Amino acid sequence: MQLTPDETTVFTLWGLGINETVVNTWIVMALLTGASILVTRKLRPDVPPNRWRTTLEVIVTGIQRQIEEISPQSSRHVLYFSGTLFLFIALSNLLLVVPGFTPPTSSLSTTAALALAVLIAVPLFGITRQGIAGYLKTYIQPSVIMLPFNIISEFSRGISLAIRLYGNVMSGAVIAGILLGIAPFFFPVVMDVLGLLTGLIQAYIFAILATVYISSATAIVKKPENKEEDR
Amino acid sequence: MSIDWVTVLAQIANFLVLVWLLKRFLYKPILNGIDSREAEIAAQMSEAARAQQKAAAAEADFVAQKQQLLAGQAALVEQVRQKAEQQRDALLTEAREKLEQERQDTLAHLSRERERFTTELYKASAETLYQLAGRALHDLADERLEEHIALHVVSQLTPLSEELASAADNAEEAVATTHAPLPEGARQEVKAALQALVPGLPLRFATDDSQSPGLVLRIGSTQLDWTVDSYTDELVGLLEERLASGESGRMRDHGE
Repeated sequence: MQLTPDETTVFTLWGLGINETVVNTWIVMALLTGASILVTRKLRPDVPPNRWRTTLEVIVTGIQRQIEEISPQSSRHVLYFSGTLFLFIALSNLLLVVPGFTPPTSSLSTTAALALAVLIAVPLFGITRQGIAGYLKTYIQPSVIMLPFNIISEFSRGISLAIRLYGNVMSGAVIAGILLGIAPFFFPVVMDVLGLLTGLIQAYIFAILATVYISSATAIVKKPENKEEDR
Repeated sequence: MSIDWVTVLAQIANFLVLVWLLKRFLYKPILNGIDSREAEIAAQMSEAARAQQKAAAAEADFVAQKQQLLAGQAALVEQVRQKAEQQRDALLTEAREKLEQERQDTLAHLSRERERFTTELYKASAETLYQLAGRALHDLADERLEEHIALHVVSQLTPLSEELASAADNAEEAVATTHAPLPEGARQEVKAALQALVPGLPLRFATDDSQSPGLVLRIGSTQLDWTVDSYTDELVGLLEERLASGESGRMRDHGE
């Protein structure tokens, strides 16, 4: 049983093997970008939105609302990052129902890449917001003793993100494959439906956790109010 | 289960590309479209609010104009009513005056008609009386009457002495004409009376069947009549004079 699409090389480009994960990722990217271009190519403020544009507006504003609930001061860059995470993971997981399509998120490499992206993005957002010193100061909060624990916590976040997503998606695909062998007519359908739900939930969880991490990194630490009095 | 780090790097690159693509083709157009639509809706809302305020102001203006118009209409109706009443009163007054004038005219006309009728009646009565008197005098006239008239003339000549004297200056004789021959005694008395007034003037007696009974004395161009016709003419004259004075007095009595 093949557990990851990384092992399947679809074609070779300049001596580099392009595996199924990358190809399927490109497919997902093409779908997302193509749909966006199709819907927004003739976007004018004086033309009433059609149903496709309304759908995209609902999705984008829904993501934005979720992000604002977590971090009211968040910038649009957070929306670009977290929204892309959600859309990519959600569409990848939804494409699970397409026969022969292996979601790129069922590859540990993909989930690790996304987790690494979050791991890199969090300090970048934090530094952009607070500056390098301000961000690094968060590692010694509330005291210097907490520095190793904060570093471990930072990395464990990425690892948990990657493993959680990979495990859920891959396990769904594996369970569906096993059940397909046992009861080929009924259980796979149920499991696919469950997989869709799980995939959407995982996309939501991944994007929300990323947003929470970014939000915590960009939150400015307030000084204690009684500090003046102590002096 | 293993991590292919080349794939990881490729996926990171893919993800960053996807972030850029979606930012370029999804988020920015959608969010900018929403923002511009919100701005347009806000502008339309503010425009609608201004239009609503304008409409409210126009409505208030309209209501005020309507009330003013209604008030003006009421005043106009009242003015027209008063004018109509004044005109009606004037017409009624004019009609009353006209009726009164017509009544006065009718009364005056009736009065004139009555007066004219009365006058006509009096004239007819006088004429009838005249005719009856003349006929009676003609029927009763005879030599005795002419004699009486001649004797009466004798007494009437004295007041006319001056006229008779002036008439006699240009006359050769005096002629006394009667319907029937006068008795001799009467002739002598008339002659004596004339001679007493106009001495030397001869008097001749003549008869004329066409003459009215009585005596006509002609001296030159002067003629003095004491005939039935002259008496009746005098009677008519007196009656007319009497009627003229009596009518006006009677009419005044009626008017009062």
